[in-house]
Amino acid sequence: MGIKKVGAKPQTLVEKIFFLDFIKGLKTTIKHLWKKVITVDFPYEVVTPPARFRGIHGLRTVDGTENPEFDSWVKRLKIKPPEPGETRCIACKFCQAACPVPELFDIQSEKLDVPEDHPHYGLKVMTVFNMDLSKCTFCGLCTQACPTDCIIMTDIYDLSSYTRKSWVLDKDVLTQIANDFVARRGKEKFDEKSAWREDQKLWPEYDKTREKLWDFNMPRLGPNYQEQTA
Amino acid sequence: MAWISLEKAKKLEERFGYPKVSEGKGVVSVEVPKDKFIEFLTFLKEDPEYQFKMFIDLTIIDHGEKENPRFQGVVILFSPKNQERIIVKTWAENETLPTLTNLWKGAKWAEREAWDMFGIKFEGHENLVRMLLWETYPYHPLRKDFPLEGIKDTELPSLNESLRGENLEGLFNYDRMHTALPTMEDLEITQKKRMPVKTSQIVLNWGPLHPGTHGTIWFLFDLDGEYVKQCDIIIGQLHRGVEKLGENVNWQQFIPYTDRMDYIAAINENHAYVLAAEKMLGIEVPEKAKWIRTMMAELSRINSHLLWLGTYALDLGALTMFLYTFREREKIMDIIEGITGARFTINYFRIGGVFADLPYGALDAIEHLIKDLPQRINDYETLLTRNRIWLSRNKDVCIITEEDVYQYGLTGAVARGSGVPYDVRKIDKYDAYGEVEFDIPVGEKGDSYDRYLVRMEEMRQSIRIIAQCVAKLRKMSKNDPYFFQTPDEKKLKVTIDGRGMKLPAGETYASSDNPRGELGFYIYNKKDGLKAHRMRIRSGAFYNLQVFTKAIIGRPIADAITLLSTIDPVVGETDR
Repeated sequence: MGIKKVGAKPQTLVEKIFFLDFIKGLKTTIKHLWKKVITVDFPYEVVTPPARFRGIHGLRTVDGTENPEFDSWVKRLKIKPPEPGETRCIACKFCQAACPVPELFDIQSEKLDVPEDHPHYGLKVMTVFNMDLSKCTFCGLCTQACPTDCIIMTDIYDLSSYTRKSWVLDKDVLTQIANDFVARRGKEKFDEKSAWREDQKLWPEYDKTREKLWDFNMPRLGPNYQEQTA
Repeated sequence: MAWISLEKAKKLEERFGYPKVSEGKGVVSVEVPKDKFIEFLTFLKEDPEYQFKMFIDLTIIDHGEKENPRFQGVVILFSPKNQERIIVKTWAENETLPTLTNLWKGAKWAEREAWDMFGIKFEGHENLVRMLLWETYPYHPLRKDFPLEGIKDTELPSLNESLRGENLEGLFNYDRMHTALPTMEDLEITQKKRMPVKTSQIVLNWGPLHPGTHGTIWFLFDLDGEYVKQCDIIIGQLHRGVEKLGENVNWQQFIPYTDRMDYIAAINENHAYVLAAEKMLGIEVPEKAKWIRTMMAELSRINSHLLWLGTYALDLGALTMFLYTFREREKIMDIIEGITGARFTINYFRIGGVFADLPYGALDAIEHLIKDLPQRINDYETLLTRNRIWLSRNKDVCIITEEDVYQYGLTGAVARGSGVPYDVRKIDKYDAYGEVEFDIPVGEKGDSYDRYLVRMEEMRQSIRIIAQCVAKLRKMSKNDPYFFQTPDEKKLKVTIDGRGMKLPAGETYASSDNPRGELGFYIYNKKDGLKAHRMRIRSGAFYNLQVFTKAIIGRPIADAITLLSTIDPVVGETDR
């Protein structure tokens, strides 16, 4: 078992008389005098969060990049097959089941009010999807539970507001957030089947503000494993 | 695994006749009758063959109202000689147990907590007051008949908001009725009960809201001039009932709550919990997940130690340190954010592995960081280690002896600073720690300076471990699994999102070496279940903080800051 003894060494007389400890310390401080400022001047400068960042939720819409099981899930839960542009949510409530604070979700579905001969007779649609984000721990378990990759987490993190009421996001707001996010950074995060891309970057390399907090000495990102390609 | 072997425990059975030995999930527990409890523990502590002289934990299991006797006491001990642990249990008939404080001083707080949470009286305890809640609180919340949401008996209309005259009641508003809250009178009673006899004119209150306490800790100092004669600590201002929550949420769903205990080193908290749950399931996580977890845990340790160093130096007047360490901390946070998606409450580990593979470029960034870091740590050391002000504020200040370590169950850098090479990473060899090379730094004297040196060396050792992890991960393939793949879903279901995951009946204890000491999870399950029957969190910071009340005696009040900083508790973990 490797044990390494550490212990105090008394100051030598030379050190004491010539104040060597102070001089050495000052040398380190003076070295920093010539360095550039590394603090990011928020809110005038903003660091772009990484692709995996767990911010405010969004609900994705049908856009042709659903995962292969999407249709079977829709059938299984007797949901009206969604048109492109409609929500992917199938009201399965898996997100609620996986949530550490389940009461933050309010999900409801309704049967369509159509005559018996209509092709959508007996099928349901999701009508209410409220999330009370003041209760959310941003753990990301809901996104991992979602079978249709509908609920996602975006890179938006500013949630402050004057009332608790405005932390409750309904389905329209959530859909809008997701559409906006997917348009901005969807390619960076998701592949053609809506799963996480295998080559998701550690952080967006186009973001130049990040250089500041890395002392203007950014690491160059390369593959982790031998056969991995970008 | 570092537990007493079954044969050796059976020998105890033969010798005394009354102990009942049983095997849990990777642990060995011995049940003894209540009247033989102290006799048996004294034997374990003093017998040269066993020498279980280190106190790890004491807790209670509530078996439910219908059972008689209802409560069971659980004591976990460690033998530094044989490097093994043992669990000793006894039934608390008539809701009482004999006190352990004559054997281990560290049991004092644990017993107070047991009284607070379960209402078990300890016969012979010197001052059995509540630990986390205030003195006039009427309930014992970890009992099974206490509801999770609490008993709402206090009206608190001020929590309800109105905006520009608009009444928002009914719109995501809080209930007017609230669970009990302490009033000023309650706090005064609490304070008086904590320190019934005072020698001086005034008792100095430090905290609960003081920047030097790094959180909400309330210190009471009974002073003689500038020297402390008596000290007690009131904690619990951040008590959120994490243990109760652990008994009421599903297995994977509990991980976000562990993040919020020791929020400085959230990854290490996740680690300890998933280790315990995996031990319960009896599964082996994939190789890649092991190495990723080891690497992340060490990154988090450096992160935590950098915060410790910055604030510690800041408290002692070296302001520059804080700015330097936060620069490096920012880089580590940035890497962690890129890998896991969050900077602080990380929730990356899962029972069965991790939830995602490393993103593209993660290993490069980590390599880049650890190339730079040793130089930075040298910079810090030139500023502090030989500095005469630093030396006089730290050397020979608040010595914690080796005996204290065993008596109080001190772990982590506090134990190592006192010369005890107690490191769960070496003892249990969980995840990839068995395969990496690193040294345990130990101090000579046990003063604040030694604890400082130990933590500085720990950072260097962590860098060494990370370098080995990166080298190992480089050789792996991107197709290697990072999450446990169950051979038969019907028999054993392990899911990333935790839906439908059951853990088997039994008991287990697993711990990890957190930057703040040994963080252990004792899980007891009556039958296969979606939720734990008893989730005990053995907090290293809680036990380490307890020694404060002893080490500060006879020291001037200014040393309280040094001592508190070198013990380095995080209130989220002490209070849970």
